[in-house]
Amino acid sequence: MSAIAKYRQVFLTGLQTNLVYRWNFAIRAAFSLLHLVYVFTLWGAAYAGKAEIGGFALGATLTYFTLLLVLQFFLSAANDDYEISEEIRNGLINQFLTKPINYLGYRLSLFFSARLVAGSLALLPVLAALPLLGKYLVFPGTEHLPLYLVAIPALLLAAFIQFIIAYCFGLLTFWFLEIQSFIILSLAVESVLGGQIFPLDLMPGWLYELSRWLPYYYQMYFPAALLTGRITDLGFALQGLVIQTGWAIALLFLAQALWKRGLRRHTAVGG
Amino acid sequence: MPATFARYARIWLASIRYSLVRAMMFRGDFLMWALVEFFWMSVNVLLVGIIYEHTDSIAGWSKYEMLLLVGSTLLVQRLLMAFFWSNLFELGRNVRSGHFDFFLAQPGAPLFMISTRKFDLDGLVNVPVALAVVLYAAHQLQLHPGPGQIAAYVLFIACGLALHFATLLTIISLVFWLQSAKGIEIGYFSLTEFSRLPRESLRGITAVIFVYALPVVIVSNVPARVLIHGFEPVYAAWLLAATVFWVAVALTVFHAGLRRYASASS
Repeated sequence: MSAIAKYRQVFLTGLQTNLVYRWNFAIRAAFSLLHLVYVFTLWGAAYAGKAEIGGFALGATLTYFTLLLVLQFFLSAANDDYEISEEIRNGLINQFLTKPINYLGYRLSLFFSARLVAGSLALLPVLAALPLLGKYLVFPGTEHLPLYLVAIPALLLAAFIQFIIAYCFGLLTFWFLEIQSFIILSLAVESVLGGQIFPLDLMPGWLYELSRWLPYYYQMYFPAALLTGRITDLGFALQGLVIQTGWAIALLFLAQALWKRGLRRHTAVGG
Repeated sequence: MPATFARYARIWLASIRYSLVRAMMFRGDFLMWALVEFFWMSVNVLLVGIIYEHTDSIAGWSKYEMLLLVGSTLLVQRLLMAFFWSNLFELGRNVRSGHFDFFLAQPGAPLFMISTRKFDLDGLVNVPVALAVVLYAAHQLQLHPGPGQIAAYVLFIACGLALHFATLLTIISLVFWLQSAKGIEIGYFSLTEFSRLPRESLRGITAVIFVYALPVVIVSNVPARVLIHGFEPVYAAWLLAATVFWVAVALTVFHAGLRRYASASS
């Protein structure tokens, strides 16, 4: 079986598995609309009597949060870290040590299948709410086309960074019995420095500049800012893309190192 | 009746004692979780700080009034995390795995047994932090509440805890009808986000849903208002009535689910 056929099969199996939980995804997506109502209310009240906050009008900020909601379902690693942890603890990874399949490739195929199902289902409530949301959404025009093009690789790299960070956290199970607290702590850092709580450009300048050098910036904020016009300078965007690529490569090396060192500690038991 | 109450109190105390011993056995884990909760609380305070860097008022609430509101929400949530979160969160998993049978076989009301089995010290150690946020905001606002106001605040926080418990129980009880509770706890977080909003910020249909139909806004606004504006009988009656009603709804949903539950153990 060719490498592509092998991982395609994993992807298809992942689609089937995730579709079993379609109602859970749908409920989560529906609840996430509530988050959008909260965001619209909070920022709507903050903008009362003001044309701009941080140089952006209310519409631009609401568009940013709406897009962020959709991107979260398409890009965020939802349960991959926990699943990897379970597979290590239960010894299920043993089969990957003797079979001609790469564990990282296997997990990445499952990640993409889960994102496709979750993202598609998340779109449904957003599309249903579009008649209400539509009047608030403002996207940049055709003059922004070069930045839209930069956003395409930025989105793919963002998904990869999301996955590889979750993968690294999952591999920590080789050293720690419980990794949940690490994951939740990382999620909190990611929520702030990834721009999910507030657009990063509203932070003090020095803090924004610092965040640009961290991987969290590239997990969500960077592609969302490119698509919603919060980043308008092409040179600045290309510099971001280079830093993002650097982080993707560095994290890939880290993941490989953790896998190799972790396996040295691992004891495969059973027949 | 007093004997039954005393028996349940003894069971709860025994569970708390066991959880404390367990927390001290895994001290690193305990410290990590305490840090996690502290960080999440800081995120909420940071959001207030960032927004008020760019504006003076949100729906007529000043920065420190908003901080008092957020602090009150955090206080209720830390209490929920300490006493009930793990228990109700695991209810979802236990129903699916059949481990729920274990609770049905115990000599006590199933809801009490599942709600009090674990106690999270990491949640409790952050209660003083949430309280410090409230006290700091009150100090900045130069509030000097009397004993009556403080007693009312404590009562309203207790009502808030009951309301949060009822919300979480109702959402998690959906597991009796769904195949899995995986991810549905997000419903609780989505709804309780509204408790960080001033009531005045919601208008039209959102006010009807989140202020009048659901108790998610008044749960925090009423305690914060009693410190800022003094005792308001209408708000007090509203919160007390909402607490009684929503706890009744949660109990009804849970018991309907319980009747639907088919044992899964061998």
